Amino acid sequence: MTTPYDNPDVDVVPLPPVDAEKITTACDYCIVACGYLAYRWPVGRQGGPAADQNALGIDFPTGAPLTAWVSPNQHNIVDHEGRPHHVIIIPDPDTPVVNVDGNHSIRGGTLAQKLYNPTTPTRERLREPMIRVVDTLTPVSWDVVTDVMAEVSKYVLEKHGVHAWGMKTYSYEFFENTYAISKLVHNSIGTPIYAPHDKPQAAEDTPGLDDAGINAFSASYDDWGMTDVAFCSGVDPYETKTVLFTSWMMYGDNPDKKMIMVTPHRTMGVQYALENGGLWLPVIPGSDTALHLAISKIILQNNWQDQEFIDKWIANRWEVNSGYGRGTRNTRWQWRTTWGRYQSDWEDYQKFIMEEPAADLAKAAEITGLKPELIEQAAEMIAKPKEDGTRVKTSFMLEKGNYWSNNYMNTASLASLGLVCGAGNRPGQVISRGGGHQRGWMGSGPKRVYLSPEKHPGRRKKSVNVDRWVMDGNVRFMWVMGTVWFPAMLASQELGSRVHDLVKESKHQPRSVDRDHLIEVYKKRVDEGGMVLVNSDIYPVDPLNTQIADIVLPAAAWGEEDRSRCNAERRLRLYSKIADAPGDAKSDWWAIAQFAQKMGFEGFEWENSADIFEEAARFSRTGVLSYYALHKKAQEEGKRSHDKLRELGTTGIQTPIRMIDGELVGTKRLHDPDNDWGEIEGAVADQKWLYSFGTHSGKALLLRTPWENNAWSDFYEAIKPRAEKDEVWITNGRVNETWQSGFDDRRKPYLAKRWPWPYIFIHPEDAEPRGIESGDLVEGYNDTVYIQSGRPVGVQSDDLSFTKLKEDGHITTTEGSFVAVAIVSDEMRPGVTMANFNYPGSQANSVCHAVPDPVSGNYRYKLGRGVIRRVGESPYKNNFDEMSLKPRPVPMVATDDATPWDFDSVIQRKG
Amino acid sequence: MAYTEHNTAKGRQKAEPTHLCLARRQFLIMGAASVVSLGVVGPRNAMGQVAELVMGAWPRKVVGTVAELESAKAIEFSYPNDDITNLLFMLGEEAGGGVGPDRNIVAFNSQCPHQGAYLDGSLFHSKHSLLGPCPLHLSTFDLTKYGMVASGHATASLPQITLELDGDDIVATGVMGLVYGYSQNPTS
Repeated sequence: MTTPYDNPDVDVVPLPPVDAEKITTACDYCIVACGYLAYRWPVGRQGGPAADQNALGIDFPTGAPLTAWVSPNQHNIVDHEGRPHHVIIIPDPDTPVVNVDGNHSIRGGTLAQKLYNPTTPTRERLREPMIRVVDTLTPVSWDVVTDVMAEVSKYVLEKHGVHAWGMKTYSYEFFENTYAISKLVHNSIGTPIYAPHDKPQAAEDTPGLDDAGINAFSASYDDWGMTDVAFCSGVDPYETKTVLFTSWMMYGDNPDKKMIMVTPHRTMGVQYALENGGLWLPVIPGSDTALHLAISKIILQNNWQDQEFIDKWIANRWEVNSGYGRGTRNTRWQWRTTWGRYQSDWEDYQKFIMEEPAADLAKAAEITGLKPELIEQAAEMIAKPKEDGTRVKTSFMLEKGNYWSNNYMNTASLASLGLVCGAGNRPGQVISRGGGHQRGWMGSGPKRVYLSPEKHPGRRKKSVNVDRWVMDGNVRFMWVMGTVWFPAMLASQELGSRVHDLVKESKHQPRSVDRDHLIEVYKKRVDEGGMVLVNSDIYPVDPLNTQIADIVLPAAAWGEEDRSRCNAERRLRLYSKIADAPGDAKSDWWAIAQFAQKMGFEGFEWENSADIFEEAARFSRTGVLSYYALHKKAQEEGKRSHDKLRELGTTGIQTPIRMIDGELVGTKRLHDPDNDWGEIEGAVADQKWLYSFGTHSGKALLLRTPWENNAWSDFYEAIKPRAEKDEVWITNGRVNETWQSGFDDRRKPYLAKRWPWPYIFIHPEDAEPRGIESGDLVEGYNDTVYIQSGRPVGVQSDDLSFTKLKEDGHITTTEGSFVAVAIVSDEMRPGVTMANFNYPGSQANSVCHAVPDPVSGNYRYKLGRGVIRRVGESPYKNNFDEMSLKPRPVPMVATDDATPWDFDSVIQRKG
Repeated sequence: MAYTEHNTAKGRQKAEPTHLCLARRQFLIMGAASVVSLGVVGPRNAMGQVAELVMGAWPRKVVGTVAELESAKAIEFSYPNDDITNLLFMLGEEAGGGVGPDRNIVAFNSQCPHQGAYLDGSLFHSKHSLLGPCPLHLSTFDLTKYGMVASGHATASLPQITLELDGDDIVATGVMGLVYGYSQNPTS
C-alpha cells in the first residue's frame, strides 16, 4: 500500500484546547470562497472530547450529520512565530453565508494540508531565491537577485524600450499583490507587454455581456438559490464551484428548481439535473451560439418573451445610438460598436432572429448536434409562461465552455437570450458568470494599451498578445508570477519550446553567482536577441522554473500573510495569516517593492500588506470591488483597514460597500432598481450600474450574432476534427477533486492519490475501435495546430479573419501532443473527449489552436482536436491505491440493469 | 438572511428522516487506549503510530457469512460498537482489502465522511462497485480502492472495515480511517 504519496489512514485527530487561537479566513481555491476557521495552539497538549474541553465547544462524537467535525486531513503541524503549532482548519459551521451548514468542497476541506510542513510533500516549497548557473538552480540572496533584476531591467528599458520588458501574472492572488503588480507594470515601467494568467492579452473575459451592459459578477448566491430554472452554459458548477451547486443550486430558496446543462460532458451535476426535472444538452463544442439563436427564435415565434421587461429595460434605437460611437472611437469597445455590426434594438433583434439561417431549428440542430425536440424543450422550460400567465424565473450562468470556445458570439448571444427572458437585474433572474478564480485584481490605473503594436480594424487600440510577442523574439526581460504559463495557454508545447530557446539556447549563460558577472552575462544575452526569464512561484513548475527560468523567486502563499479579495458575489473577506512562510519566501508585493526601489521608482515603501490594502482603497472606489467606504470607516474608528475587515469574519461584506447613516452596507445584486440605495454618502462614487444596466442609457442592449461571420466561421471550419484522419474533439476541463494545475493538490497526499495523473474521458464508441480501456495511457495528437504569428494590424474590417490572416502569412502550423489516463465512460458525448486542462507534464492545450477571437483577443481554449491512440497501460489500471477509474456520474438510486446512456434520443450524429 | 433552514441541506435532512435512521447515543471516549495514544502524539508524524496502537485493540466480530452474500446487495451490520453502522458487499471484481477466494468481499462504514449523511444499500452500484451519490451533496466512493472518493467532497476516504474469513464466517477485525463525528475511533 505504499506509494510516493502514501497517506496512512488514521483514526484519531487532535482537538484544539479551549484556549486555542481562533482565526477566520476563506478558502484559497475556487471563486466561491467558503468561510473557514483555523484553530492554532502550541504542540504538546490537546483539548478533550467534551464540549467544555475543546475550543470548538462541541461534544465528540458529534452525533448527527451536518454538525461540526474535524477530519484528519483538516489537521497539520506548522510553524508559527518560529515554534511548532497544531492547526486545524474547518469550514465555519455557523456561517450564515456562502457555505451554510459548514458545507465545503474536497479542495477547501483539505486546506490544512496545503500549509508548509517539511514532513509532507509541501517540503517541495521554494524557500530561497535561486539563479540558474550551469543548469543548476543555485541559492542566492534577495539582495543580489533584485540587484541583478534591476540592473538588467534598466539596461533593457534604456536600450530596447518598454516593449522589451514584459510581465505575466495571476490576476487574482489578493488585492495586496495585484495592486503592486499593476503599479509596477502600468505606472512605473509603463509597458503594454502584460497579460494575466488566463489570457494571452489584457482584455475582458465576457465581452458580449459587457456590451449588453451586464456585469459578469452581478448576481448573488441567493439568486441561484431562488431561481426556478437555471440555464448553465458551458459549466457544471458541481465540478468547479462546488458549494455554489451543493448549497445554493441543490437547495436555496427554491430547492425544486430545474437546471438545463449545456455541455458535452455528463458530470454529476448534469446527472442531478436530469433526475430533478432538468435537461442535458450535449452540444458539439463551439456550437453554443446556434443553440442560443434557435431558442430565441422559438421564444419569439411563440410570443414567450418577457415583453414587460423588454419594454422597460431594452434600449431603443435612439438609446442604442446615443451610447455608441462617441469619444475618440479608438477603443476595442468602439470598434465593436461603431459600424453597427452587433448592436440592436428590440425591433431589429426580432428581424435578425427571424431571418438568421442558424436560428432555424433544423439548422441549429445540425450545428449543435442536438435533436430539435431537445432545443424546443429547453425553450419551453426557460420562457413559456405558466397557465396563469405568470413567468418562471430563469437565470443564466456561463463559464469557460461558453466563453472559451467562441468568445464574443457565445457571450453576446447568451446575453440577448437572457434579456429576452427578462433576466439580468432581478432576484432569481440574473445573467452572471459562475466564476473561476476569486476576484483579487486591484488595478492602480489604466493599462498602456495605446502603446500596443496590435490594432483592431480601423487601427483601433488592441492589447498585445504577449505569447506571440515573446515568441517573435521581442521581449528581452520577462517576469512571470504565479502562473504555469505554457500549459495554461494554447499550442503549449510550441510556446514552451520557443521560450526555452530564447533563454537556454543563448550562449550567454552565467558561470557564477557574482553580481557583476550575472549582470554582464544577461546584458550580452539581451543584446543578442535572447531573453532573461524570472519566475516567482511557491513550487517547482515544470518546465517553467525547473528547466528554463534564470531567476526563481520563492513566494509566500495563502495563510502566510493577511490579505484580502472577493468571491463571485463580490463578498470581501480577510484571509488571515495562519502560519509562517517557509524559509526566505516573501510575498510577491515585497519582491516587487525591492525591485522597484532599486529601479528608482517611488511609492513602493510599504512595510506590510495592510499598508497596500489602505493605499489601494481609493483605486477601488469607482469599481464593483469598491471597499473605500470600509477604509474610511476604519480611519474614523482609528483602526487599520485590515483589522476592520477582520471584524467582519467569514461573513465579510459584499462590494461595492456603501456608507449609509454612518454604517457599512453591502451590495447584494448589481443593476437592480429595487435596491434601496438611499442617499449615497461621500465615500462611494455613484455609479449608474448599481441600479440600472451598465450602458450609456442604463438600458440593456440586444446584440446580433450571426453564425456565419468573419471572426468565427472560417476558423471553426478549419479546426473541426477531420474524419479522414479519424480525429475527435479533444476539449478540456476540470474535475471537482483538483484545483487548477494541482499545485497544492498534487502535494496533498489524500488528493494526489485520487488524481495522480491527468485523465481523458472517452466514450466507449470512440474507445473500443481504438482498443482503449479505462486505465490505459492514451496520447492525444494533433498534426495541424494553428498559431497566429507576426503583428497583424487591422485596417479593413476582415483583416483579422482567419482566412485573411492565412493569406497574409500570419498563420503558421505546428503539432501538439499529450499523454493522459483514459477513463472510458458514456458520460461523454460520442466524438468528443475531454482532457485535463492546465496540467504540467500533460499539456492538453498543446492540441488547441493559438489563434485568438479577433473580436476580443481571447483564445478558444476548448476547441482542441486530434487523434487518440493507446500508448500502453498506466500503473493505475490494476492497482488499488491510486486513481479511481470509475465513472463519476451515477444515478441517484442504483439499479440492477444499468444500461449505457441513450445518446440517440438526444443527439444528431451528423452535424 | 434570505435562506431558511428548511432550504438548506440541514433543513432537508430534517424533512427526510429516512437517511437519519439512527438515534445515536452521545458518549465520551476517554478510555484507556486514548490516554495512551495521546501520550505519544508527537508534533509531526505520530498519527500513524497512534492508529496502530489503537488498531491493536479492535474486537473481532462475525458480521456475516459468505453463503448469505449476494452480488448487488449490501448487508448492514454494526461494528465496533452498536452505534456505528457499516455495509458488507460482495463486489463483481477484486478490491483493495477484499477477502474471499475472489478477494471481492469488502465492508465500509456507512456514514459519508463529508457531512455525515447515511449511505444505505440502495446507493450501491454493483456494476461499477460504487457507493453513492450521497443524498446530501452527491459524493460517491470507489469500493475497489479503499473507499476513495470517486467524485465529491469528503476529506477522507470512506472508512473501511478490515475483514478476515474464518471458514464461512466473515469477521470484522478493525477500522481504517476515522469514522465521521469522532475525534478518535471507539474500539468497543
